[in-house]
Amino acid sequence: MVKVNGMGKTCPIPLIETKKAVKALTSPDTVEVMVDNNMAVKNITRFATDSGYKITTDKISDKEYKLTIEVAEIKSEEEKKMDESCAACGATDNTGNIVVAIGSEKMGCGDEKLGKNLMKAFIFSLSQAEVHPKTILFFNGGAHLTCEGSLSLEDLSNLQELGTKIYTCGTCLDFYGLKEKLKVGEVTNMYDIVSTMENASLVIRP
Amino acid sequence: MIKKKLSLIISFNKTVDAMAFEEYCLKHNVNGRLIPLPKEISAGCGLAWKCEVDEKAIIEKALSEASINYDKMSEIFI
Repeated sequence: MVKVNGMGKTCPIPLIETKKAVKALTSPDTVEVMVDNNMAVKNITRFATDSGYKITTDKISDKEYKLTIEVAEIKSEEEKKMDESCAACGATDNTGNIVVAIGSEKMGCGDEKLGKNLMKAFIFSLSQAEVHPKTILFFNGGAHLTCEGSLSLEDLSNLQELGTKIYTCGTCLDFYGLKEKLKVGEVTNMYDIVSTMENASLVIRP
Repeated sequence: MIKKKLSLIISFNKTVDAMAFEEYCLKHNVNGRLIPLPKEISAGCGLAWKCEVDEKAIIEKALSEASINYDKMSEIFI
């Protein structure tokens, strides 16, 4: 068993030390973490569950908690890298649930042609990044990007193959007469758009 | 992570030249696509044309016909 003493340490140090201890394991083991506040309990619990580890919490007193993380399987270097994050106090792991919300064919304000090329470049770069978004939402003018004629279809298909969910607003497809031209991903509605954004650890709006 | 393959990258001195070349290529069915300038080629920002390595001659001809100046051609894994 590996022990981490997070007592008296301010957030996010207990979380960072726990991550380091888990990362350093070379074979399945248990990591026992002692912390003195509920925020650290929540952050470490979220890290463990997001990483697929079983965690149990024993509240010894209001100022003393024992967390036991069972690391049943050692992750590859690549997987460990994916789990890394620069956690700020109280912050969630941003690599966990990144949502990209695209409401226009253009990136930024200014020249239309440049804006369209920047958006294409943005989507290409997303597909090349080490960490992919969990979901990409397309709405309003952004709906054109998932439909026939879009020069981003290849990148979006690649992202989809890598596990990214791609959703386009159905109202928008209808408005622009694109219902029959959707080429990648699925149709969604505003309720799902809202809940996807609410549940995200990070929403990126290019 | 997407599997990388060797590609021909044409970089330009001006963003507008890259955009003009894309316009020409789309109009004349020249294979390839516009991408952000890969970091391996330059630390600067910009757009570049990406295509197959064996299409160098076609691209040179297209650049010449479109009268577009380019910075350099590089072969990198992307």
